Parts: sequence; C-alpha cells; structure tokens
Amino acid sequence: MNYTQLQKVGTVVKYIILILVGFIMVYPLIWMVGATFKTNNEIFSNLTPFTAHPTLDGYKNAMNDYGGKINIFKAMLNTYSYVLPKVIFTVISATVTAYGFGRFKFIGKGVLFSVLMATLFLPQVVMNVPQFILYNKFNWVDSDLYLPLIIPSLFAFDTYFVFMIIQFLRGIPRELDEAATIDGCNAIQTLILVICPMLKPAIVSCALFQFMWSSNDYMGPLLYVKTPENYPAAIFVRLSMDADTGFEWNRVLAVSLISIIPSLVVFFCAQKQFIEGVSAGSVKG
Amino acid sequence: MRMKKVLAGIMSVSMLAALTACGTKTTDEGTTTTAGGNDAAATTAAADGGAAEPVETAAPASGEDVTIKFSWWGGDSRHEATQNAVNAFMEKNPNIKVDVNFGAWSGWEDSMSTSFYAGTAPDVNQINWNWITNYSSDGSIFLDMNKVSNTFDLTQYSQAALDQCTTAGELQAIPVSMTGRIFYWNESTFANAGVAVPTSLEELYAAGEAFKTNLGDDYYPLALGEYDRMILMVYYLESVYGKAWVVDGQLNYTAEEIAKGLEFIDSLEEKHVTPTIATILGDGAESLDKNPKWMEGKYAGIFEWDSSASKFNSALNEGQTLVVGDYFKDMGDYQGGYSKVSLAFAITETTPYPTECAMLMQYLLNDPEGTAIMASERGIPLSAAAKENCLSQGLLNEMVAEANGKVLDWVQFPLDTQFENSKLKGNPDGVYYDALGGLSYDEYDYATAAQILIDGISDVLAG
Repeated sequence: MNYTQLQKVGTVVKYIILILVGFIMVYPLIWMVGATFKTNNEIFSNLTPFTAHPTLDGYKNAMNDYGGKINIFKAMLNTYSYVLPKVIFTVISATVTAYGFGRFKFIGKGVLFSVLMATLFLPQVVMNVPQFILYNKFNWVDSDLYLPLIIPSLFAFDTYFVFMIIQFLRGIPRELDEAATIDGCNAIQTLILVICPMLKPAIVSCALFQFMWSSNDYMGPLLYVKTPENYPAAIFVRLSMDADTGFEWNRVLAVSLISIIPSLVVFFCAQKQFIEGVSAGSVKG
Repeated sequence: MRMKKVLAGIMSVSMLAALTACGTKTTDEGTTTTAGGNDAAATTAAADGGAAEPVETAAPASGEDVTIKFSWWGGDSRHEATQNAVNAFMEKNPNIKVDVNFGAWSGWEDSMSTSFYAGTAPDVNQINWNWITNYSSDGSIFLDMNKVSNTFDLTQYSQAALDQCTTAGELQAIPVSMTGRIFYWNESTFANAGVAVPTSLEELYAAGEAFKTNLGDDYYPLALGEYDRMILMVYYLESVYGKAWVVDGQLNYTAEEIAKGLEFIDSLEEKHVTPTIATILGDGAESLDKNPKWMEGKYAGIFEWDSSASKFNSALNEGQTLVVGDYFKDMGDYQGGYSKVSLAFAITETTPYPTECAMLMQYLLNDPEGTAIMASERGIPLSAAAKENCLSQGLLNEMVAEANGKVLDWVQFPLDTQFENSKLKGNPDGVYYDALGGLSYDEYDYATAAQILIDGISDVLAG
C-alpha cells in the first residue's frame, strides 16, 4: 500500500466516523420529523423514526385556529414582527455601546463598565416583577406593538452581546481608527465605515443568538402578550398542552417543526459567518 | 483595581436593592395590601375582610357597554369549548364584551401571579385552589362572591365545597369541580393473570402473587410513583385511624402511626403488588402514562385523579380495557381518602364590573345553555344544576363521571392546603420523594422515613 492509497483509506475512515457522529447528532431531529406522524402510544414506545400506523392528524390539528383568533402562520408572523426589530436594535445598540467602552476614555468608565458586567449575572427571574410593574406603569403590557419585548433591546439590554463585541473589538488594531481619523473620519464615520465591516462576524453571531433566543423565549411573551390574536409561535406551540387530561404530542411536534423552519433557514444561510464569529473573539490578533 | 471591584460590588448591590424596593412599593400601590408575611395578611383580614359586608349593589346589569377580561389555561378542547360558551354569552348579552386570554399551564401561574400583584389581572380567572391561600390569604386579590350572590347562584353548591374556597372570611372563588384519587385497573391484564379486578386489599395482595406466577416478574397489578405512594399512604392511614391528615395547621399523626403507613406501602412492594421506585425510574419514562409498561399492560393499575382517566386510557395499546376501581373496604374501619377542588373561578377585586363578571360565571357554571357547552371540560361540574343538565344530555365522559361519582361518594376528609406545597410535592427534591423514595431504595427504615416526613411537613405547616 503506497502513500496515496493510505491517504485514501484515511479519508474514507474519517468520513465514516464523521457521518456516524453527524447522524447521531441529527437523529433527534429526524426522530422528531418521524414522530409527527405517530400516535402518542408509538411516540413513547418506538425509538425509530418509522411508524407502523402513520397518521396526518398532527398536521391537521396543527392548523387549528382557536375560534379564528390565532393560527400557526399568524403566530409565526407575530413572532417575527418582534424578533426582527429586536435583532436589529440589539445589533445597533450593542455595537454602539461596545464601541464606546472599547475605544473611548471618559470619567467613570471603569465603574460603569463593571456595573454593566455585573448585570450580566443578574438572572431574568429577578427582574420579572419589577420590569412588569415598570412596563405596566408605561401601559405597555399587552401592547399590540410588543413594546416591552422590543424597547429594552434599544438600550443594549443584553449585556452578553456588548461583552462579546467588546472582546472582538480588542482584536481590531487601533491603528485603523487612527488612519481613519487622519483621512478625516469623525468617530461615527469611523465606526460605520471602518469598524463595522471588521466586526461583521461578531455582529452576525450576535444577531443570530438574539434571533434564536428571542424566537424561543416563552416567559417574555407569556407575561406581556395577553391577547390571543398576538400570541407568538412559542406560546402557540404550547396552547394545546394540557398536562391534566393529556394531549396529542404529534400535534405539538408538528407545530414545532413548522415553526422552526424559518430559524433553520436563517441558521444555514449565516452558518459560515456564525462559526467565524463564535471562534474569532477568542483569539487576540 | 481593588477599589473598582468594591465600587462595582456596591453599585450592583444597590441596583438590586433599588429594583426590589421599586417592586414592593408599587405592589402596595397596585392592590390594597398584598405585602408579604402571614401576620400582616391576618391583621388586614381581620380589619377589612372579617366583618360581613352588606350585599353590594353594583348597578345590576345596567345595560351599559362594558368589556371584561376572562382568563384560563388548558388544552385544545377546553379552549374551544370555553370560547364557544363565551361567544354564546356575548350573543345573549350584547352589551358585554368578553376579551379572552388563554394558554397552557406551563408558566401560567408565574404570569398570573405577576399580574395579580401588579393589579392588572383579568376580571374573571380560572384559578388553582391553592392560589387563594398563596396570593389572597387576606382576601385582597379576589372578590368575595357573597357580594354578587344576587347574580351568581350560590345555592347550586354544597356548603362544604364553598367552605373550601373561603379564606379570611370571604368566599373568594367558586369551585368548578372536585377531584380525588381512585384506582383504575387494566381489566385485560387481570384477565390474563386469571384473577378478577381487586375490590379489597386482600384481593390486591392475591393479585400480586397471581401476576408473578402466571404472567412473570415484569407484571405488577399496581404501579405507584413516590407521590402516588404518599397519597395512598394517607388514604390508608385515614382508613385505619379515622382522622384527617392535618388539623388546624398541625400534623395529626404520630411517628408510630406514620411508620405503620410506611410499612403498608412497603408491604405492597414485598408482595409483588407494586414495582420498586428503582424499577419505575429504570423504565425511563417521565410519567406512568408515557411508560411503555403501562401501555402494554405490564403495569395493570394506577391510583390517579379521576380527571386523568382519559389520559391513561388513551395511552393504552389497542385491545386493552381500563375500568374504574372501587375503594377498598378492608383497609380500616373508616372511609379514608380526600377530594380537592380541582379548579375554581374567581373575580378579581380590581374589576370595575363585578356584576357583569358574576353574570358570565353564572352562565358558564350554572346556566343550562352555558354548562351544556362547557360540559366536562373542567371536570365533572360541581354545580348541581350543571351536573344534572350535563347528565340528562349525556355530555359527560362516562368513565370520568363514574370515577368522580365514586370519589365524591366515598371520601370524607378534606385536603390540607399545604399538602401540595412544592417543598413537599416537588420532584425530585420534595420531602415526599425523599422519604418514600428512600424507603423503596432501603436507605431508610420506617422510623427514619416517618421522621423525615414529620420534620418536612411540620416545617412547611409552620410556614
């Protein structure tokens, strides 16, 4: 066996392992697709994605519209009508905040930064009641525009993203800023024309994370959306889940499957940038 | 650097403090006095709730256009039935618009409790029985239903049932249905084992033996999780000693008595009546209705809420029949077991339209038209009129109705409001799980497990 042959064998072995591990990772998703065609009985007793008695009830019931108030497509539309603004505002506010902390010196910067970081450790549960009362005072609860869900992201509420972008910003040489200044850029121009293009991987992963978290968020909408017509998908999926009398899992899985399709598409489109962004912050240039 | 850290620490603590302070303050403003401790609650109750107030004359159905909000949790069929009933109500009363807010149970209590405290809760709410003591122990959150008794017909309910919803001298909610634990048997498996469905403890022990010899070691006549065991043990103890589990906030049983109950539970395992906790956990299912051994009929019995019958029935493989069992008469000299309010409807104190809210409740719970639409979506109705109406029209799930009838005929003891406290019932950290799980694993002897129960329960009862 010569070197080329050895290499080929090596490649084959590598691919077999990769395919095997990949299959194991994807299996739950495949099973979920299969399970949408099963009855409850089979869902809990059958480990394979195949079914002996396929049924389309899950999908049929997924179209249930709760007295014309809300259906799955409206729910998905509702989800994106606050997730997209939230993502955009988060990206803008987090970038601006990070730029401020990363590049400028001002009085109290150290303290403010420490406070900002401290909020990173504040769990959401602690904030639920005070936030609710505050938004209630503003009359934002059950607002048709999802104000309590969107507005906080205008103020870099998700500290994690600020932190992430600051870390990334440290890897971008200051010489670039200086060159831009010499070329006549002011601070804002420097940010938009020079820094932002360099920050792209970090911004993409920040947007993706926010997209995923906000789409999956259950407690937020549950607290602030009280009109069935405005329910997002996260709530819609659970509407039929009655723990006391039992419910059809195939319907819940079918609804989940339909509602994650857009998220999957977004993820696949942004995959390359996303992976770069996650790993890039860790290496200092 | 150190200075900075200290500063940051102080800042974050003060921020937290500010947030909390904010919270309490507004809470106080939002509703009358919801603030904290039981003592405070008790005093306010004595001050403003204790004295019987005159029947409110809140402009009886003025005919003005009003909008009220109504919230509930549940599953698909409940959402549908309730919306239909609400629509029918609005047709009948064109001046009243009912906005609905419904969802699944998960997270619902958190969401509702937040709005109770903020004073923004809907006008009419489906509530869990323990919410009365948890959120309105001073009567400040829910309206005293006696104030709207002109509109809402209280005579359809037994005084005992209404008493269960009376706290701080106010009837804070109307119980929609009662539920209790009862045996269900998989008749098919019992037939295979060559024994009849047990009607006494003796027959159950015999069935355990028959299952083992005729069907195999995998087959058990009764499957009990930790919490099921706890409830069954209380049922047993109440049957033997004839006294309620908790009386006046004090555990009513001694360590020796509880040890006897634990011995009974242990005997079920020993006589091959019920699998060990280790076996059940080893099946890898989250709950018994999702357990393949239940579906196949290897576990042939459960001790469950009457309202859960359909869930367990539909989980079974084809060709198996589930039947409602009987309470065992040979457990002791008394009729043990308890029933509890499974759901209740309550009007919030903040509503500007109590009469209209009461009209809605009257329609949903007592009116022939409304109750026919609601049928048994919230269990077998407790209202006499509603039950009779649904029975005559054949609207109730037969098995659930049979089970509910048996429960209500048999049980005599009330449930302590703290029995389902999450510190006790919590899985897997609760006291019940610790004691009964440990017993099954042979980590504890009877005395130790009994002591764990006594300590844990007394702790919770002491508040």
